[in-house]
Amino acid sequence: MRIARRTLLKGLTASSATTLIGSRAWGQAAGPSEAGQIDLAKAKAEGKVVLYTSLDTQIVDAINAAFTQKHGIEVQYFRGGSTDVTSKVLAEADAGRPQADVVDASDLAALLLMKDRGLLKPFKSPAMDAVAKDLRDPDGTWITDRLTQAVIHYNTKEFGSAPPATWADLGKSGMNGRLTYFSSPNGDGAPRIYTLASHLGWDVVKAMAATKPLRVQTPQVIAQVVERGERGAGFLQNDNIAWRSKLQGKPTDYVFPAEGVPTEIGACGLLKSSTRPHAAALYYEWWMGAEGQAILVKGGKYSSRTDVAPPEGSTPLSKLKLLTLDYAQYKKDKPKILDQMASIFGGEWGN
Amino acid sequence: MQVAATASASSAVPGARISVQGIVLGLAVALLLFLVGYPLLWLILGALGVPQSFGLEHLQRAFTRPQNYAALVNTLQLALGTGLMSIVLGVPLAWATARSDMPLRHVVHALVALSYITPPYLTALAYIFLLGPDAGHFNRLLQAWFGFESGPLNIFSMPGVIFVIGIHVFAFTYFLTHSALKSVDASLEESAQMLGARRWQTALRINLPLVAPAITSGALLAAIDSLALFGPQAIIGTPAQIVFLPTRIYATIGSYPPRWAEASALSLLLVVLTVAGLALQRGYLERRSYVTVGGRGVRTQVIALGAWRWPLLAFCLTVVFFSAVAPIGVLALTAFSKSWTEPLSVGNFTLAHFNAALFQDQVSVRGIVNSLKLATGAAAIAVLIGAAVAYLDLRTTVRGRRLLDYLAILPLGLPGTVMAVGILLAFIRLPIPIYGTIWILLAAYVARFIPLATRSANATFRQIDPSLEEAGRITGASWWYAIRRILLPLSRPGLLVAFLLVFIPAFSELSATILLYTGGTETIAIAIYRLNDLGQLEIVSALAVFTIAVVLTLAALVTWLSGSSWTTGETPPVRG
Repeated sequence: MRIARRTLLKGLTASSATTLIGSRAWGQAAGPSEAGQIDLAKAKAEGKVVLYTSLDTQIVDAINAAFTQKHGIEVQYFRGGSTDVTSKVLAEADAGRPQADVVDASDLAALLLMKDRGLLKPFKSPAMDAVAKDLRDPDGTWITDRLTQAVIHYNTKEFGSAPPATWADLGKSGMNGRLTYFSSPNGDGAPRIYTLASHLGWDVVKAMAATKPLRVQTPQVIAQVVERGERGAGFLQNDNIAWRSKLQGKPTDYVFPAEGVPTEIGACGLLKSSTRPHAAALYYEWWMGAEGQAILVKGGKYSSRTDVAPPEGSTPLSKLKLLTLDYAQYKKDKPKILDQMASIFGGEWGN
Repeated sequence: MQVAATASASSAVPGARISVQGIVLGLAVALLLFLVGYPLLWLILGALGVPQSFGLEHLQRAFTRPQNYAALVNTLQLALGTGLMSIVLGVPLAWATARSDMPLRHVVHALVALSYITPPYLTALAYIFLLGPDAGHFNRLLQAWFGFESGPLNIFSMPGVIFVIGIHVFAFTYFLTHSALKSVDASLEESAQMLGARRWQTALRINLPLVAPAITSGALLAAIDSLALFGPQAIIGTPAQIVFLPTRIYATIGSYPPRWAEASALSLLLVVLTVAGLALQRGYLERRSYVTVGGRGVRTQVIALGAWRWPLLAFCLTVVFFSAVAPIGVLALTAFSKSWTEPLSVGNFTLAHFNAALFQDQVSVRGIVNSLKLATGAAAIAVLIGAAVAYLDLRTTVRGRRLLDYLAILPLGLPGTVMAVGILLAFIRLPIPIYGTIWILLAAYVARFIPLATRSANATFRQIDPSLEEAGRITGASWWYAIRRILLPLSRPGLLVAFLLVFIPAFSELSATILLYTGGTETIAIAIYRLNDLGQLEIVSALAVFTIAVVLTLAALVTWLSGSSWTTGETPPVRG
C-alpha cells in the first residue's frame, strides 16, 4: 500500500512527542490493557457497550448484531459525522460526563486531539499485528480500522463514454452546474478536500468551486443526487458508496483519478473514562478482529487489516496512488483551513 | 375559620394549610426558576467565557467575525421576507374567510391551520421533493410543460428558504387578522356606507385602520418565529450555502473543540432580536385599545362578492395548496411509493417504508418511543408548574407572583436553539449533570413549552369563580381538599387542553433536541433529521406522515375539547 508513510509518520511522531509525557503507561488505566486480560464474565456483568461512530448505520447495525448474538451484550451507539462524534466526546469530557466506551471517527486528527487531551486508553490488541505500523499509534491509543478513498462518481446516462476522469476535469467549464460535493455544516468535508489541495494545489479545488457545485450534507446524499441525475458527477469522498450504488444497478460508475486518490484514515480507540472496560475491550476486539472487519468489507469499506480482502469487485489499494494528509499539521491548522474552505466555497464550515 | 377548624378537625389547621400549599407551590416555583432562570443565567455567563475565563473579549470576538456577521444579515433578511410574505398571503385569506361570502371558507381556514400544525422541517423536506432543482416534481412538470432545459425553480436559495418558512408562519398574520376582522362591528361599516362611502373605501378607511395593529402584530410574530426555525434553515439553507444564526450556533457547538463562548454570544444576539421584536409587537397590539374590539358579541357584515368570489377562491386555494396540500401530499406519496421518483400506481404502492419506520429501523423506533415518553412527561410537568403559577397569579396575593408569571411566559420568546445552549451550559456540570441523558431533553421541553401550559391553565382558572372554592373552604374543606375536589375537577378539560398544547410541539421538537440528544436518546425529529442526512428518504417520509398524523389527531382533540379551537384565539402556540 502506497500511503505516503513519511508525511504520516512525521506528523505522528511530532504529536506523540508532545503527548507521551501526559499519557499513562501501559496497564495503568482501569480494566484490561491488553486483549488477554479481558474477563468475559465481567464484560457480561457490565451489561452494554456505548459506541460513538461516524460509520454508516447499516454497517454498524450488522457489526453490532453479530456481536450481540455472539456475546449477549447489547451495543448502544450514537452515529453522526466525524465532527459530531468528536465534539460530543470532547463536550462530555469537558462536562465530566463521559458516555462512550469506544469511539470511531473517519478523521484521524480527531483521534489525535482526543489522545492529546488524555482521553484515550492505551490497549494492546492482536489486531496491531495485522495493521501496518504507520496506521496505528505506537502507544496503542488508536488504530486505523478502515481506509476510505475519494472518487469521481458519475451518472452514466449523463456522460456516456466520456466521463470526467481526473480531478482537474471536475473544474472544467463543462462541469458548470453539474457537480456536487459534500460537507456538513461543521466541516466534515474539509479533510479530504484539503488533502487534494495540499497534493495538487489549491487551484484544482478553486476551479471545482467555480463550477457552482451543489453542496449536500453527507456523502450518502451525493450518491442519490447523482443517481437521480440531478447532478451529473460528484466529488464523492466515500468509495464504498459509489461501489454500492453501482452494485445496486443504479446508472452510475466511478473512477479513481490517476493524479492520486485522497484517502481518509478512519480510526478507533477505547476511552479511558469508560465504566465498562471489559465489555468495551471485548467490542474493540470484535470491531478490529478479522470477523468484524469482514462485515465492514461487506459494506464496501476497505479494511486496514492486511489479512482481510478488499470489497468484492473493487480495485485493491496496492493498485492506487493514495494521497494522505499530515493529520498532526491538519489538527493544528484546522481553523485556518476551515476559513479557507468557507472563503472558497461559501456557506457554513463550523469555522 | 373557627367554624371550619372545628368542622374538619385536623386538615384545616392553619399550619397544615400553609405547609401543603407552600410545598406544592414552592416546588413549582423552584422548578421554574431552575429550568428557565438558571439556564438563562448560564447563557450570559457562557458569553463572558465562564468557566474557562471571564471577560468581554469573547463577545467582542463573536461580533467581529465576518461569518457571524453574514449569519446575522441573512437572519434579518429572512425575518423581513417572511414578515412581508405573511401579510401578502395572510391578510387576503383572513378577509376572505372572515368577511366575504366566498365558498369553502371553512376548508381554507382548516387548511391554514393544517399548514401551521405541520412541523416546518417536514414542510422543508417536502419541498426538496417538490422543488429540488432538477428532480423535484414541480420542476419536472414545468420542464415537461414549457420545455425548460433544467428545472427553473431552485428551492436551495434565499427566496426558497423564505418561501418554505413563509408558508408556515403566515398563519400568525392570518389568525390575528381573521379574529380582528371578525370583531369589527358592522355598525361602523354601515355608518360609513350611509355617509356615501363605497365598499372599497369602507375597507380602506374603516376596516384597514381597525385591523392594522393586528396585521402588524401578526407579521412581527411571523418574523420572530422564522428567526428561530432551525429545521428549515438547516434543511434548505445548508445546501443553499446560506447560514442563519441558529444554524451558525449549531455549527459553533458542533465543531471540535466546541466553542461555547461564541455560541452563547450568538444566542444572546438572537435573544435581543426576538425580545426587540416582541416588544414592538406588544406595542402594536396595545394600540388595539382604541378599537371597538371587545368582549361583547359583535354583528359582522358579510360582504357579497358576486363574481369576484371565484378569483378570490382561486387565490386562497392556491395558497393553501402550496402551504398544506402539496407538501403533505408529497410526503404521503413518497411514504407509500416503492420509488419516489416514479408516479404512484398500484405496482408502485407499498407499506414497507412504514414497516421499516415503525418497527424495523432501530433509530426510528427508538425515536418514536422516546418522543412519546418525553412529550408525555414534559406535558405533565409543564401543566403542574403552569397550574401552580396560574393559581398564584389568580388566587393569591403572594409578592413576586407577577415576576413568576413573566418568567413562565418568557421562553415563548426564546428560540429552541438558544434554550438548548443555556440548558447545555447549565446542566453539563454539577450540581445536576444530566447532559447525555434523556432528562436533559425533558428539562428542555418543559422549559420551552411551559408558557403554553401556563397560559392555558390561566385561562381555565379564570373561568372558574373563586367563590366556589371559598364556599368549599367555609364548609370545612382544607386547601388541598378544595383544590382536589373543586378546582381540579372543574378545570379538568382546560388542563387536558394545556397538556395537549405542550404534548404536540414536544412530540416533534427539533431545534433544541439537535443540540442535546445523544446515542439512545434520539427522538422522532432526530430520526427524521439524521436519516434524511443519510438519504433514507422513504423511511423519512413514512416517519413524517406518522408524525403529522399524530399531531393532527391531537390538534383535532384540542379543538373538540376547547369548543372553539386555538386557531380563533389570539396567538397560536409556538413550535419548532
